[in-house]
Amino acid sequence: MIITYEDIIIKTLTRVLAPFLQLYALYVIAHGHYSPGGGFQGGVILAASFILMVISFGLDTARRRLSEKADIIFLCLGLLIYSGTGALCLALGGNFLDYSQLVKVFPVTVAKARALGILFVETGVGFGVMAVMTSLVYDISTGGLPPERE
Amino acid sequence: MVNMQQFFMGVSIALSFLVLLCLYRAILGPFITNRIVGVGAIGTKTLIVLLLMGFIYDRVDMFVDISIVYALLNFIGTLAAAKYFEMRGEV
Repeated sequence: MIITYEDIIIKTLTRVLAPFLQLYALYVIAHGHYSPGGGFQGGVILAASFILMVISFGLDTARRRLSEKADIIFLCLGLLIYSGTGALCLALGGNFLDYSQLVKVFPVTVAKARALGILFVETGVGFGVMAVMTSLVYDISTGGLPPERE
Repeated sequence: MVNMQQFFMGVSIALSFLVLLCLYRAILGPFITNRIVGVGAIGTKTLIVLLLMGFIYDRVDMFVDISIVYALLNFIGTLAAAKYFEMRGEV
C-alpha cells in the first residue's frame, strides 16, 4: 500500500509535468511510423504519467482519475482496435493486418491506407500497453487484492 | 585537425569513463542515498551520450525524442526508489 505524504515539490512537479507527459505520449504514438517510438513506447509513457500520479498523490487519487474498471475498458478497447483492424482486412479479402485492403472502406490511395492502418494498430497497442502497465502498478501497490478487500 | 564527429566521439568516450566512476559509487556506495544519486548521474550521462550519438549520425531530431523519454523515465525511477526506501525507513 502506497502511503501519501505532504511533499509540495513532488506534487507541484507532477501537476505541471503530467499533462505534458500525456501530450508527448500521444505525439510518440502518432509519429511512430517515421520517428523512434510507436504504440508500445507511447503507451509506456502514457502509463508513466499515471505511475507518477500514484507515486506522488497516492493510490486513491490516481484511482479516482482512472478507476480499475476504466482501466479494463481501455485494455479491451485497445485489443478491439488492434484485432478489429486486422479482422477488417481479413474480411475485405486480404491477409490479417494487410492494410492495403482498407482502400475498399476508406476513400484514399493504397499508400495512404497503409499509413492509416498502421496508425489504427498503434493506437490500439498504445491503449492496451497503457492499461496493462497501469493495472500492474495498481496490483503491485494493493498486493493484488480487489478494491473492496484491501 | 579533428573534425566535429571525432570531437563528439571523444566526448562520448570521456563520458562513458565517467559512467564507470558513477557505477563505482552506485555499487559500493555506503548508503542508499549515494546509490540513488549515482544511478541518477549515470542516467544523465547516458542522456548526453545519446544526444552526442545523434550529432555523430546527423539525426539529432530522432535522438532528441529518445533522450526526452529517457530523462522522464529516469526522473520517475529515482522518485520511485526514493519513495520505496522512505517507506522502508532506510533513509
